[in-house]
Amino acid sequence: MLARGLSRGWRGICGAALTGAPFSQVPSQVPRGLHCSVATHSSDSSLVPRPPEPLRQPAKPLSPHEELFRPAPDGARDKASFVRAVQNFGQHNVHKRGHVDFIYLALRKMRDYGVEKDLAVYNLLLDVFPKEVFRPRNVFQKIFVHYPRQQECGLAVLEQMENHGVMPNKETEFLLVQIFGRKSYPMLKFVRMKLWFSRFKNINPFPVPRDLPKDPVDLAVLGLRHIEPDLSARVTVYQTASSKDSTGTADPTQQHIVGIQSPDQQAALARHNPARPIFVEGPFSLWLRDRCVYYPIQLDLKYGRGGWDDYEFDIDEVEEGPVFAMCMAGAHDQATLAKWIQGLQETNPALAQIPVIFRLTGSSGELLASSSGLEEPSPPPPQEQEEEEDHTQRQQQGQS
Amino acid sequence: MALVHKLLNGSYILRKGLKPSVAACPFLSTRSADYCSSSLQKPVATPGKASTQRTAAGGLQEDQREVSFDKAIKDEIKEHFRRLKDEIVNHWIGPEGRPLQEIILEQARVVWQFRGKEDLDKWIVTSDKTIGGKSEVFLKMGKNNQSALLYGTLSSAAPQDGENSQSGYCAMISRIPRGAFERKKSYDWSQFNTLYLRVRGDGRPWMVNIREDTDIIQKTNQMYSYFMFTRGGPYWQEVKIPFSKFFFSNQGRIRDAQFQLLLDKISSIGFTLADKVDGPFFLEIDFIGVFADPAHTEEFAYENSPVLNPRLFK
Repeated sequence: MLARGLSRGWRGICGAALTGAPFSQVPSQVPRGLHCSVATHSSDSSLVPRPPEPLRQPAKPLSPHEELFRPAPDGARDKASFVRAVQNFGQHNVHKRGHVDFIYLALRKMRDYGVEKDLAVYNLLLDVFPKEVFRPRNVFQKIFVHYPRQQECGLAVLEQMENHGVMPNKETEFLLVQIFGRKSYPMLKFVRMKLWFSRFKNINPFPVPRDLPKDPVDLAVLGLRHIEPDLSARVTVYQTASSKDSTGTADPTQQHIVGIQSPDQQAALARHNPARPIFVEGPFSLWLRDRCVYYPIQLDLKYGRGGWDDYEFDIDEVEEGPVFAMCMAGAHDQATLAKWIQGLQETNPALAQIPVIFRLTGSSGELLASSSGLEEPSPPPPQEQEEEEDHTQRQQQGQS
Repeated sequence: MALVHKLLNGSYILRKGLKPSVAACPFLSTRSADYCSSSLQKPVATPGKASTQRTAAGGLQEDQREVSFDKAIKDEIKEHFRRLKDEIVNHWIGPEGRPLQEIILEQARVVWQFRGKEDLDKWIVTSDKTIGGKSEVFLKMGKNNQSALLYGTLSSAAPQDGENSQSGYCAMISRIPRGAFERKKSYDWSQFNTLYLRVRGDGRPWMVNIREDTDIIQKTNQMYSYFMFTRGGPYWQEVKIPFSKFFFSNQGRIRDAQFQLLLDKISSIGFTLADKVDGPFFLEIDFIGVFADPAHTEEFAYENSPVLNPRLFK
């Protein structure tokens, strides 16, 4: 049983020391070193003052040191209280018994406190490890993985940094050298992180800022600028959300509407034949980092066919009709979008003669063609699901 | 191999009469129709499991229609011999059945296009439902049959099986091209140097994975990958990824020793979404092609470092 545990730990260390989140078919195993350290913890239960255990979630057992992360009386869960909790751990026991469990617990709690992208907090967490104890001193300790549970724990800290895209700095390197030595697995992972993060830092041709604006109008402006490749397009805010200090119930008649249109699109709209209708399609979803915004667009659907000229791709190119304008609005019902069309009419007088047809879907991201005419959005959802099930049956039977 | 399984399962079903296949094939019940995505254990299609699924579903219908089982086998044998004949004839015309001067002068080639349902059958969609997660993914034809729409919901809730701590991925992988008698064939893209995709996404970052042919050497977990960033919006986006940018990874982790992707035996290509953000997603693909960019002269973008690979620098 000991050998099996050792080999499992070895595989875990070798796997976790490499960078790259396990996005493909084999997910990673983050080994949990709880088996060894529980035995050491039970001896010092007299040192840590044990408060009366509150009755919450009887199914989930409380981890040791969970009481350090109890919310403060004023309920603030932020960086300061997290830092205080980590420092309190060191104060109670000088020898830092059970630090591996504590670090795993702190890693789990980071998201609740909102500090998962903060490098200083990770360095503080690495500081919890006792220094100079886990460094191998002779050749035998170097051959066998010296203190494997602690190395796994260090790897788990670095892996969470990697998952959240936090780049380690010189302080992290110094801490890792002090704790584990230069030839250890956490140090190897650190070198890999430095290499691959710097290689992949700027590969996004459409970068999105890390701190997204909270104001929905600003977010809408950012999203529209992100979509529109024409830099001379103008963003117009037709309407801002009226009550900034609303108590949770948004006023349905005063959602924000932000539109974008480029001069080329304006000219195209002016030239547009009034006999052909214009469709307002949407809402489509746009993801900016981890926030999703919805936008309908106004376009003229004309499925023409054109050849490809540059590189002789022998394929008929699909032409959807020109897009005339785009907007982002707080609500996607027809009334809000009608207000947007009215706002567009001020800059595009030709729009007054052109019939506008609304093709709105209820769900996100799917292009469903409802019948034309000014009608309520979205065909009923059960119909969609039937289509999908039919298709999946066919997909399954179509496998060979 | 599909024939053998058809024989086994067909005879089993005939013996049990109209008993549903759930009793006959116990491992089928784990992947029955309540999985929304057509799921397989490994992204590379194992013909055995897939064909049992089809024949089990088809087996019920066969019983009801009293179609001769021998006729189905004869049809399949004829199909395979027809493919063999095509291969031999094509060998005389030129590589891959096209005349040699056409292949030499070719600068751009469309490899996968999405104009009909049969084009969709060349792809498999997978999600983390195979390991117990909750993401869903579907593939269907887009508007007016001009593109394919891959859509679904990503959920990074980890399966509570004590083994996986992270989850949340969806993938679309192309099937390995098969010749006569289900032999594996591969693509030869050695005269091209850039991958070209015409897509329309929703702003999410995708990962493009290319797998090499596993005919001689066992390389099932190795692949070359790179990122594809979609812009979002109604405009079609042209994504050009040179093959020199693909980095090597094994078992889902980037390896220290990097080598460039060799293009003479490519087996399949795939798109993965695993950006740890829960929510719906969609990706519309018009076509996938390869072309030779004369302006791109880089051979390989990543150099090996002596710190991580001392043995390579001895």
